[in-house]
This record gives sequence, C-alpha cells and structure tokens, in this order.
Amino acid sequence: MNFVLDAQEKSLLEQIKTKLPEIGNDRSKLIPVLQLIQAKLAYLPAEAIHVVAAHLDISPSEVYGVATFYNQFRFHPPGKNAVKVCLGTACHVKGGDIILENFERKLEIKEGETTADREFSVDRVACVGCCALAPVIVVGETVHGHMQPSKVEGLVLRARIEKEKQEREKQQK
Amino acid sequence: MPKLVIDDREIDVAARTKVIEAAAQLGIWIPRFCYHPALGSVGACRVCAVKFIQGPVKGVQMSCMIDAQDNMVVSTTDEEAVDFRRHVIEWLMLNHPHDCPVCDEGGHCLLQDMTVAGGHGLRRYLGKKRTYTDQYLGPLLQHEMNRCIHCYRCSRFYQEFSGFRDLGVMRSANQTYFGRYENGVLESPFSGNLSDICPTGVYTDKPSRFFGRRWDYQRCPSICINCSLGCHTVASIKYREVKRQEARFSEAVNGYFICDRGRYGFFYAGLEERSRQAMVDGKEVPFDQAVKVLKEKIEEIGRGQGSEAIACVGSARNSIETQAMLQHVCQLKGWANPSYLMDRAITKKVKSAISRLEPELVVSLRQVEAADFIMVFGADPINEAPMLALAMRQARRDGAEIAVLDPRPISLPFRFTHLPVVLDDLSLYASALIKTAVGRDAVKELGQNATEFYDVIPDVAGNSYPVKEQISNLGEKLRSSQRPLIVCGTEIVRETTPQLAADLALFLRAAKGQAGLFYLMPGANAFGAGLFSRVEDSFEKTVEDIENGAVKALVLIENNPFWQFPNRLRLKQALDQLDLIVVFDYVNSVAAQKAHVFFPTTTLFESGGVFINQEGRAQAVPQALTGGIPIAQTGGGDHPPRVYGLGISGFEARTAWQILAELADLELHSEEKLRSKVWNWMIETIPGFAALPPIGELPDDGIRIELGAQPSARFSMEGITKGEDLAEKFELIPVEWTFGTEELSAHCECLRDLAGKPCIFMCRSDAEDLNLTDGDQLSIELDRGIIEAKLRAENDMASGTLVIPRHKDLDWQKMDNGRALVPKGRIKKIT
Ligand code: SF4
Ligand code: SF4
Ligand code: FES
Ligand code: FES
Repeated sequence: MNFVLDAQEKSLLEQIKTKLPEIGNDRSKLIPVLQLIQAKLAYLPAEAIHVVAAHLDISPSEVYGVATFYNQFRFHPPGKNAVKVCLGTACHVKGGDIILENFERKLEIKEGETTADREFSVDRVACVGCCALAPVIVVGETVHGHMQPSKVEGLVLRARIEKEKQEREKQQK
Repeated sequence: MPKLVIDDREIDVAARTKVIEAAAQLGIWIPRFCYHPALGSVGACRVCAVKFIQGPVKGVQMSCMIDAQDNMVVSTTDEEAVDFRRHVIEWLMLNHPHDCPVCDEGGHCLLQDMTVAGGHGLRRYLGKKRTYTDQYLGPLLQHEMNRCIHCYRCSRFYQEFSGFRDLGVMRSANQTYFGRYENGVLESPFSGNLSDICPTGVYTDKPSRFFGRRWDYQRCPSICINCSLGCHTVASIKYREVKRQEARFSEAVNGYFICDRGRYGFFYAGLEERSRQAMVDGKEVPFDQAVKVLKEKIEEIGRGQGSEAIACVGSARNSIETQAMLQHVCQLKGWANPSYLMDRAITKKVKSAISRLEPELVVSLRQVEAADFIMVFGADPINEAPMLALAMRQARRDGAEIAVLDPRPISLPFRFTHLPVVLDDLSLYASALIKTAVGRDAVKELGQNATEFYDVIPDVAGNSYPVKEQISNLGEKLRSSQRPLIVCGTEIVRETTPQLAADLALFLRAAKGQAGLFYLMPGANAFGAGLFSRVEDSFEKTVEDIENGAVKALVLIENNPFWQFPNRLRLKQALDQLDLIVVFDYVNSVAAQKAHVFFPTTTLFESGGVFINQEGRAQAVPQALTGGIPIAQTGGGDHPPRVYGLGISGFEARTAWQILAELADLELHSEEKLRSKVWNWMIETIPGFAALPPIGELPDDGIRIELGAQPSARFSMEGITKGEDLAEKFELIPVEWTFGTEELSAHCECLRDLAGKPCIFMCRSDAEDLNLTDGDQLSIELDRGIIEAKLRAENDMASGTLVIPRHKDLDWQKMDNGRALVPKGRIKKIT
C-alpha cells in the first residue's frame, strides 16, 4: 500500500534532501542514507526510495533490494496502535499464530503492514518475556496476556470507538 | 590438463573446467537450475549434487562449484547423490503453485523435467504456501512470481550480464523476490532472454501466451534479419503462423542470447494486411495471369524505350539467392544494372567496408568479447545492432577500455568514454587516438604508403582539440592494450570513414601483432547487396534516371523506398512519372500500394535463404513453414476455416527469385534445381563466393566470405581531408533506434510502445544558445519542407548536430540526401 505523506513527513523529507549532498553520492552511502531517513520518518516511504535512487544514481529496484534485505528497515508507517503479536515458543504453542491471523483478518492487512488510516500496524515479535501469560500481544506499551480471538475483536473495536469519540469531541469544540 | 573419472569414464579437460561441464563433455547431463554456461556458477539451487568418491574433495558436493582436478572419481548416479537431488527438488517444489496446466512454460520447463526425472512425484508438504504479487513488466513478458525457485539466473543475466538495473532481487530469505521496484516496462532491450533462461515459468513470452505447448509447435532454426548481425534464433510455428522466437546458441555470432528487436521482430510475417495475392492495377488476379500481363508490359516498354528503360531494385533484406537471380536476370534480359542500396554514399561505404575486411582483421561478434580496447567510430551499438552492445559489455566486464567517437547521445549498459565529435572531425580524432598509441617505426613494415599516410594523418600535438586530454589519456591505455578492436558504423559516417577505420586497424595490428575490425551495415544482407552493387549503382541513381526519362519501368524487389528514401516528395514525383511500377514483397508497404503489378513473395520463414552478415558470414536459413494465411485469420479466431476450397488460402506467394526466373523464362522444372543453378552461377561469377560449398551444405555457423587483402585499397589519402566549415549551420542526421525505425520490426504490435516518442536531439549548450529548452516543440525548416518534433536536449552529444531518429511516426523525409544542413535561423520553437 502506498501511504500519502503527511505534511510533517513531507517537510522532513525535504530537510533530508538538503542534507544529502553532504553525505555524498557514492554507492556505499546507500545504507547510511536509508538509516538516516528511517531515523527521521520511522519508515521508508516510496517517495524516499525514489529520492535515494535519484541521489545515488541507481535504480529504485536496487535501493529497495538492499533495503528489504535487512530486517531493520520498515516500509509502512507505524500505526497509532502498534500491535506486536508474540510468536515466541510459548505463545506459538498456545496459538499465537491464530491471534495474528485474527488481527490480519480484522484489520485487512498483513503482518508488517499498517492500515490505510494509520490507526493500526501489526508486527510479529519473538518472546516479550512473560510466557506465563501466553499468548501475549503488546499494544503500544501495554501488555495483553491470555489473548483470545474475541479479545482481538474487543481491542480493535475499543480503539475505533475511542477514536470516534475523540473526533466528535473535536467537532463540538 | 586435469584428468578425472566421471561415471567410470575418463576425461581430460581444460584447467578450471567445472565438473558439471566436464560431465557435459562426456555427454552426461547433470541436473542444474542456477548454473548457466554464460552466467557461471553460484551454487544457489543445490540440484547439481554428485558424489565425489576419490580425490581432493569427498562426499556429496555441487558439481557446478568444483573445478575438475586430477585423480577425481565422480559418480552422478550414486544413491546418496540421487537421493539428495530428489530432496532438493522436493524442497524447491514446496511453495510451487502446481499450476503447470495453465503455465506457458509447461512442456519446456526445466523444473517440470527435473521434478519428474528426479523422482519427486508426490507432494508431502501440506502447509501453507508462500505467495507473491506479480508485476506488469511491459508488453513482452508475463510475470508469475509464485513459480520461482530462486536460482538467481534472471537477476544475474539482467544486471551482471546485460548491465540493466531496473529488475533484480529484493527482500531476503523466504520472501526473496525477483522483479522491479514497481510495475513498469522493463528497460532492457534484452529482456526477452529472461523467458529463455528462467528454468521455470516466472517470465514467459507474452505475445504467444496460451497459444500452445512446445510440442504443438513446429520448431525450426532460423536467423534474425532485423539488423546486420544475423543472430541465431529458433522459430516456433503453429497453425501456419510464426508465433514465437527464441535465442539459438551460436559459437560465432550471438552466443546464448538475442535482443528484443530480433526476438519479437517477426510479426510482419503473419500480418492480416499482408497481401497474399498477385495484383494487377489493384485487382487480385491469378499468379500466372499477373506474370503474363507483366511480361507483356515489359516487352512493350522494351520495344518503345529499349530494355535499358527497365530498372530493378533489390534490397538489403533480399536473400542472396534473390540478389543473385536479380543480377542474372537483368543481364539475361539486358535490363539496366540492378541497384540494391539506397544512395551513393551508403553503397560506397558498404563496398569499401566489404573490400577492407581483410582476413587478418575481421572478427566475429563473439570475438568482440575478447577485445581489451574497443574504439567505436560512428556507430551506436544499442540502437543499430543491439547484440553488439551486449558483446562489448562482456569485454568491459573483463576489463576492456571502451571509447566511442560519435556525435549522437550514446547510451550503453556499461562504463565507456564518449567523445561527442561532429562527423567531419571524426577521422581527425580517430587518427590522433591511434597515433598516440602507435609509433612511426611500427608501421614501417606496412610499406612506403603506410608511412606516408602515417605522416599525413593528424596527431594530438598539432591541434587544440577540446578533448585533447581525453584523447591522450585513451591513447595511453590503447598503447598498453594487446587486443584492440575498431568498430565502425557505415550509416551516418562520412564516405571515407570505413576506409580510414581499416587503415588504422592495420596500424594497430602492425604495432601489436593483433587487431580487430568490425563493421556495422545497413541491413541483414547489406553485405550481399554491396557485393552485387557496382559502385555507381544505387537507388538514388535510379531515381535520377527516372527523372531524366531514361527509366520507364521500376521493379522493386522486397524494397520499400518510402521507408527510408530521404526525400519523400521527390520519390513520389519520380514514381508518378513511370509507365510501370512493379513490386515484389511480403509486407504491404506504401510502395506496394502504388504498384501496377504486385507479386506476393515469401518471408524467410516460408522459403529459407542465405544471408550474409556484416562480417561476411554467409548463413543459411532453412524453410520453417510452407506459407499460407494463418488459421487464426482464415477461421476468424482459432476456429477451423469456415470456407473450404482446394489448396491453402494465401499460398500464392513465391520466393522473389522464383518470380524473377519466371519473368526471364528460366526453366522451372523444380525449385531445387533452379535454386542450385543460381547458386552455381553465383559461385562462378561473383568473386568471393568461390569458397562457398554447394547449396544446402553451409555449416550451422555459416562460412565467412573471404575476399582476401587488397593492398591497393589501403592508405588512400582521400579520407583525411577536413570537412567543410559548417560555421553557423547544424548538421541534421537521421538515425536508427532500437525500436520503431527498422522496417520489419516496426510492423510488430508488441514493440510499438517500446519505441520512444518522435523527437529531435540537440546538444544542451546549443539549445541554450537558441533559447530553447528540453521538451519544446520545434520546427526545423529544410529546403524540402518542415520537420516538427519535440526537442530533447542532451549534455552528451556533439555541438552543431541535430539528431533525428527515423521514427515511423515522424515525417522526416524532407532532405536531399542522407543528411541536411540547417542554418540556425531555421530552427524555431512552436508556441
Ligand atoms: S524468476 Fe526464474 S530465473 Fe529468476 S530466480 Fe526465479 S526461477 Fe530463477
Ligand atoms: S542484434 Fe540484430 S540480428 Fe541480433 S537479434 Fe538483435 S536485431 Fe536481430
Ligand atoms: S513466547 Fe510469547 S512471551 Fe514468551
Ligand atoms: S546448478 Fe549447481 S547449485 Fe545450482
């Protein structure tokens, strides 16, 4: 999915562009440049891939090829509710994959992706250190233990209702 | 020379031969996916495992990764190795979608063969399969990533071998993806090779999609006639239609690959608008009647004006048989001497290139790869002869230095030095370059003439070239090279440049003991056309003869001057003056529509023939099909024909030489006899053909026509005069593009979108001087009309030059000859 950059991201990217000449345009600068962008934007949007390709005079496929080789780069913006589903040994045994699948289905995205409204992102992680509560997920900073499909439903619904409420309040003001 | 034993048989191989190749030399075919002789080994697929029983390595190992060594004993049939390979196939098949029934690769799929042969018949894995999203890659290839087995052949070919970067590997581990960053047309003009080298159905041929399995096709070796290199192909025919072409290995010419112009440039052969019936005054008539009418008409003109008033024009796409028969018939009938090439300049250039291809200098396309310093004089490889660019890239990968002297904006898939010089200065710079690297003493052995010539040609010191420094740097490198090569174009260069290129090659050879010379020519059989043409004959002269009334009847044999004659209006007026226009052709051209008498001829697929490529290699093409209208057309779709009759519809076409023979009343007892008769006549009368074997006995890689060295042609001083001073004028040169300018491939629907938009190139600094910017719509006023197109300003081209691709959608034919001079004031921006 291609996300439209918001105003802040756009200006950050513009800032980065002005910095690029200092870094130089040798091919070996590819990873440092990608890291810089990710540090500022938290992910590598499609626009950034093209910016980097133009700067280093290589094809976008090469930039993307290198970026996707490493686990450290993200291609989707983090969601407001960043869901991390644990698939460590204990959680896996307790059906963590079912939880993940529930999120994927409910949110209509795949793991590693973000919903179009940027409300949710879903990632898998390995053991968050509270195996006794398996299966476990972490949303933002909050740990949710003993997950069940019905809880997934509840979580997503709660977040959406919360959002609607906020929006209503904003309008009333 | 390591000596080893494979499957109980001993073999000696060259050092550094991989075991997989050593086995192949014994006729043992070890399974492989990632290994390819042109791409080398990477050890990615693990399916070439064999057991090393004795010697320096032991156990199950990859035969593509290990060099053959002394004392090795290898078994390809060892139980452990066979079991290993079976498991490899099984894991490669884990994620495979099992969609063979709807996959176009099925039937010639390496993965399918290996799966069956390897003994993995039943799926045990019941888990989820990984899936990918496919991409749109343009009109030539279909992408189906789920079938991928991650052998890396595609990215290695695309990036390493051919030097294009927009397709490659992305992601890692279980998600590894082969494709582009986003949907889009592949940029490489060699992309079609992906369908040949991918061992499974990830890239399949798009125009022939869902038309048939390999075994449904009649497959026949052929060669490409879309440029002068003559690459080898395999034509696949089904339902009376050429449907697909693949690359065919040739040791001497193209190696394993071909370009996309060649691969997809055959659709002219099956076009619906192709005329299949003889015609008189626009009405279809039986063949014999057309012959009768034509004979009468010709006789009548002969009686009135003399037989000299009948002029025949062949072309560079005629087979040798047609060219020879034309010559023969014109002599027999006392018609004017035939011409074959478009204008005087090109005839002269082609003829001098032919005569200067001395046996010690000439190299084949494959040998280009071995050069360590390549100088290109007035040629644009990727646009004029794409496979040359691929061969040059291989040389470059081996460290060769490459310098291109050409006014055009040249783009090549590797690093090279471009000296954008105007055509008039090309010989100056070329000489200076050679002179920096070759000392006067070295050329003494070539005789008095050579030293005199050496003294006259300019060197760097005497002139203040803007690129002086580049020339001396290059000269420095040229001096230390051992296998230098000169590539010389014949299309846009001055008449004397091919001569000079040969002289300079001789200098290099004298200095280094070895040097190559490689010309490009305007057409698949331009070499033959040049051999048969007299220096004074060209279509240009024929037009003059029409204008002055000497010629009253014109016979065009597989030639459409409207495609390339630089002055369209003049051509039209000349043709209007004629009493009789006769066209023999297999494309429905503008000329064909003007014909009073038209004869359909056969394509090379339908008749075969011999073509001589630019290095003088005579190559035979066998007949691949008997002709007739494709069933898809007679039946309306793929339905069997709805109208029944005797014979095959559209079967009237004959070879051009057969029709000529009929006109001359040559005995037509059998086609074969007649063919060998012309052939023998040709061998006897044309010098250079003497070495040819009887017809039908040309070896697969052809035979090089050797004309021998002609010392008298060497070192003529005419080549080194400096050209006219163009001062305030631009020289406008019409040029070729990979797609969209060559006549046969321009008829192919699938290549249509690959040709760029019509445009005019101009050096950026010139554009700025004239207050023009990239993208402006320009009008260029010539003496014969106005050319309009978008401006493309380029940094890297000669100042003072305008370059116009002869794009089929651009009305460019408004010049007196192959170039025009344009005063600055005549270039305007249209607002
Ligand atoms: S796409 Fe084909 S050639 Fe490329 S890695 Fe996959 S199987 Fe190999
Ligand atoms: S390089 Fe020329 S001869 Fe070879 S395939 Fe391409 S067009 Fe045909
Ligand atoms: S495995 Fe999930 S918290 Fe340890
Ligand atoms: S062919 Fe040897 S590992 Fe693939």
